[in-house]
Amino acid sequence: MNARARLAPLFKAYLILVLCMHWVPNAAAHHSFAMFDSQNQVKMTGTVTKFDWTNPHVYIELDVVGSDGLTKSWTIECANISILGRIGWKFNMIKPGDEITVIVGPLRSGQPGALLKQVTLPDGTKMGNGGPAGLPNIQ
Amino acid sequence: MYKTSSKLLAALALAGLVVPALQAAEAVGIDGKWFAYPGQVDPQERTLEPPAPIPDPPLKPEFLEDWRTLRATLAAADARGEPIASGYTRCIPDGMPAMMQGMFPMEVMASRGQITIIQEAYSQVRRIYLAGEPLAWEDAEPRFWGHSVAKWEDETLVVDTVGIKDYVMFRNVPHSPAMRISERIYLLDTNHMVDEVTVTDPEYLTGPWQWSWMYTRRDDYKLYEYVCENNREFADPETGEARLRLFGE
Repeated sequence: MNARARLAPLFKAYLILVLCMHWVPNAAAHHSFAMFDSQNQVKMTGTVTKFDWTNPHVYIELDVVGSDGLTKSWTIECANISILGRIGWKFNMIKPGDEITVIVGPLRSGQPGALLKQVTLPDGTKMGNGGPAGLPNIQ
Repeated sequence: MYKTSSKLLAALALAGLVVPALQAAEAVGIDGKWFAYPGQVDPQERTLEPPAPIPDPPLKPEFLEDWRTLRATLAAADARGEPIASGYTRCIPDGMPAMMQGMFPMEVMASRGQITIIQEAYSQVRRIYLAGEPLAWEDAEPRFWGHSVAKWEDETLVVDTVGIKDYVMFRNVPHSPAMRISERIYLLDTNHMVDEVTVTDPEYLTGPWQWSWMYTRRDDYKLYEYVCENNREFADPETGEARLRLFGE
């Protein structure tokens, strides 16, 4: 069987399945920031319980006391080490126990997860979350 | 006879020093660290005309509509705030040719007989060999970054790459094992480099798919590690949507 006969029918048959399950996007369409609501941002102050300086994302776990007096744990997604490092973040910039204020775009699902737009550190320094994550639209 | 031998030895020794130096000197222009231009460059440094936008792939009619539908579906899902899970959701890296788009900085290194390129995103590594003939696609084990051989044509590195895994795609464009990626990599000036990419695929494309990427030199940059060790994203088993695993889950 020649090469052409081998190739043609099989790939068409599995095309959509392969594309949907295994595609690799171009850089412009950021992979999943769309799951966060970047229009209706919220501001929260809380205590850091974890600071994961890791790839593919840096994460902050933040305990936030709600208006009902109950503490909720938030999972805050930051950019990756490379982007953050280039805008001045350090691996030890945030520590468990720090009280920080964040401006975030929360998950559209309503779960306590969010995309960071800006963090205010205990000493008052404000840091962004890199270009792709977008800017805060509240103060 | 002793004097003649020592002169011969001296000449051979000199040649032994000069030839590798010449090979290294050919490559040293593209050696270094590179940021994507203009995307990763501050506005005031955007002094050169950026490359033209990448055109749509010249897919054969039987594939083109499916591709357009998929792209529209993905864009609509994003717009709804319900993005479909992608290769990135599973920490699958770009592969070729996408790795050369310079999502993050990259490092180009010439050593004896090869050029090695490291892309900071996902710590992707491709090796381009300066000896040997391009592989027949049938003999090319499918890989993320394929099998690359290159020759210098004056100051331009002309690269052939074959053997990309079926699910490693750029812009969701399907391809066959026979897809080849040809590149012409050269300096525009000391601080700017171009990669002219041409993709051919007798099964999927009506003709060559061509575009250029451009980079600006950043020799003081030190690449970070990238290990996908803390992936909190996953694909919803029912909808295929990208979801976030929260702390405590």
